Amino acid sequence: MQDAQALRAKQAADAGLLRRFSLETLQVGGLALAIVVFAIIVQLNFPVFLSLPNINVMFVNFLPEAIIALGMTIVIITAGIDLSVAGIYPFSAIVVGLLMLAGLPIPVAILLTLAAGAVVGAVNAFISNKFRVHPFIATLAILLILRGVNIIITGGSPVSGFPEGFAIFGQAGIDMGGFTLRYSVFIWLGLALLTGYLLRHHRFWRLSYFIGGNRRSARMSGINVERYLVFVYMLSGTLAAVAGIIVASQFNAANNSYGQNLELRVITAVVIGGADLNGGAGSILGSMLGVLFIAMIYNAFAMSGISTYWQDVVVGAMLLASILLGEALKRRRA
Amino acid sequence: MPPALEAKSINKSFGSHRVLHDVSFAVQAGEVHALVGENGAGKSTLMNIIGGIHTRDAGELLLKGQAIDPADVWQARQLGISVVFQELSLTPNMTVAQNIFVRREPTKALGMIDWQRLNADAQALFEQIGVEISPTELVGNYSVGIQQIIEIAKAISFDAEVIIMDEPTSALSESEVDRLFGIIADLKAQGVAIVFISHKLGEVFRIADRISVLRDGEMVGVTKPADSSPDEIIRMMVGRSFDDLYPPKGVVGDEVILEVRELSHPPLFHDISFSLRKGEILGIAGLVGAGRTEVARAIFGADSYSSGSIALAGERLDIKSPREAIEKGIVYLTEDRKVMGLFLSMTMRENIVSAALGRFVGALGILRHKEIAAESGRAMQRNDIRPRDDLLSVNSLSGGNQQKSLLAKCLSANPKALLADEPTRGVDVGAKVKIHQALRDLANHGVGVIVISSELPEVLGLSDRVIVFREGRISAILAGDNISQAEVMRHAVQ
Repeated sequence: MQDAQALRAKQAADAGLLRRFSLETLQVGGLALAIVVFAIIVQLNFPVFLSLPNINVMFVNFLPEAIIALGMTIVIITAGIDLSVAGIYPFSAIVVGLLMLAGLPIPVAILLTLAAGAVVGAVNAFISNKFRVHPFIATLAILLILRGVNIIITGGSPVSGFPEGFAIFGQAGIDMGGFTLRYSVFIWLGLALLTGYLLRHHRFWRLSYFIGGNRRSARMSGINVERYLVFVYMLSGTLAAVAGIIVASQFNAANNSYGQNLELRVITAVVIGGADLNGGAGSILGSMLGVLFIAMIYNAFAMSGISTYWQDVVVGAMLLASILLGEALKRRRA
Repeated sequence: MPPALEAKSINKSFGSHRVLHDVSFAVQAGEVHALVGENGAGKSTLMNIIGGIHTRDAGELLLKGQAIDPADVWQARQLGISVVFQELSLTPNMTVAQNIFVRREPTKALGMIDWQRLNADAQALFEQIGVEISPTELVGNYSVGIQQIIEIAKAISFDAEVIIMDEPTSALSESEVDRLFGIIADLKAQGVAIVFISHKLGEVFRIADRISVLRDGEMVGVTKPADSSPDEIIRMMVGRSFDDLYPPKGVVGDEVILEVRELSHPPLFHDISFSLRKGEILGIAGLVGAGRTEVARAIFGADSYSSGSIALAGERLDIKSPREAIEKGIVYLTEDRKVMGLFLSMTMRENIVSAALGRFVGALGILRHKEIAAESGRAMQRNDIRPRDDLLSVNSLSGGNQQKSLLAKCLSANPKALLADEPTRGVDVGAKVKIHQALRDLANHGVGVIVISSELPEVLGLSDRVIVFREGRISAILAGDNISQAEVMRHAVQ
């Protein structure tokens, strides 16, 4: 009898702790903690790790992933997936370059490239909606097609020699003494803050959680799910194009080999950040921390001289850990 | 005054199959109008047309005398017609308030949600209907019963003039049903027209002002409860009469099949002791949440228990998984067939043999498909599952036939003891009678059967003895003349 009471009291206490914080808070908080611990350990061994120039390098290296993860987060919240981003990314770098080389003004070339990214996204959604194909298959097909198209339109060699003004998006920045804080970091920051805020507070954007949580009930609530998904995949495609334009500017060149396995890095980061591949859960803050975590690991391994093959082992283990944590939390609360 | 809602000569076909044939139906403001009929009679189709989900082929819809033509659920709701869906239209990962006001959230500038007002609005809504539900709790943390109330609150929040409730009580406990009926009475007093679709005639007679009966897509009659009787309604529904709704009771042997001693798992259940005899149907009654399902799942090995013992035919068992239970001969027919019982996208055949695949495995683990086909064919026949094609996917079957297949699946495992949890939830009268008969046949063949049901008439009509649960304990074991609705309720609630 006393056992029973103790058990009940313990259960109530557990429930209290878990209830006080949302699942999202617990997951994002756990990830933030892991990042801090990891950063301290690396810093103790390599004092240059947390220096501003090195942090800047981390940001710049993973800027495309960070920008693309914004769209991927929303896609995953709606219980979808977008593999085509890794095709759109080099595609848009090439397209913006070719348009400029063809003599179009820079703003026009950029707008057309963004539109191209949006169109590819719309095609993803159309295929998946119209033929009831899982987005995994639809976007995988588009990824493969774009990878081929990229080689065809470039003939396999890099596109380069862009107008001077184009450098502002990926190379130029504020001189901070030892390094340049690039404007592209501000583009990412602005987009992240905007999407993060909208996803949390805007009526239309929040519908993504309903669609991912229970598509049938979303439909019953009068949401036009198909049309909404067109928006979501267009957004994802456009953001991938933004990343592609930045990288073209950064290297002053566009190469069809950009973005190998980028889709998997992005999905990994988003899932580590607490998004649920079954839909209905995820946050921009979590995804950005997920990207940061991966960026830190790659950076630390590059610095340490340990075989870089180990970095994938660590990233994979973290992915597994975050999934197990999420499942455990869900079960405890149920 | 014109009726709040009137449907005139509605026709609807799906392909060549005519589902509704010249159906007319009207509900007045302040009236509770029950719509009954067997599954497949066209009730849901009619309501889906009124609620804007399907389009009609012919006919007219009038809202207070004005012709309307809702294109989708959303439009219907804005016109003042709200359907409370059988499959809840709520999203479990969002809060109660977000669910209720999805797409209608109060906003500040630029479409940003005003969270304070959102929660306050939901709170006000719950106060209006007199229930205590937290607007900021996740919907998934509430029971199905409470979710049903939230769903109804959502319907009300549209200032609905017509509310259509499709099987609203199928997942509710008796006390939740009472609460729902209280809410319905309030709505009625406010002049809301209510269409109440239910298989439970007891409830229909309790709440309805008028009853309309659909059979095979045609309206066969409208009557008032006072001028009719459940027997007459059943006759109208099926076009024939049932002399007796329940099969005759059987002969219970002395041999004990299943012996449960002092089974406990605090805080869910305590000191559960009973014995199930050969050829017996043992009913378990009690409110939802009294621990009935938990005990059944513990016996089946799906959940663990802290202390106590279980013996099958005198042999003490230590079952740790459903697999071991099935091997020993204990089978559990689940409460929620869609979630736990059936593999919806797989064929009937695969489902029927899925609990007993071990019997059909040859050398090197290769399945013996001929035997599987033969067993499945026999099961389809024995349980009268229609259409008689075991290569159809379970998805495509009606609720009653799905439930019959679930039963067939359990039987193919050759059980010694069958635990049937809500075996007829959500199925129509015809299928119900067949399921009852199948359970009784099983008992007559020497299987011990436990039936857990929230429908008192079912427990009473089917069982040789009745165990009543209350708050995780057995409060009474009734037999013979002691089994009555009043007696069961007395032990269930106090």
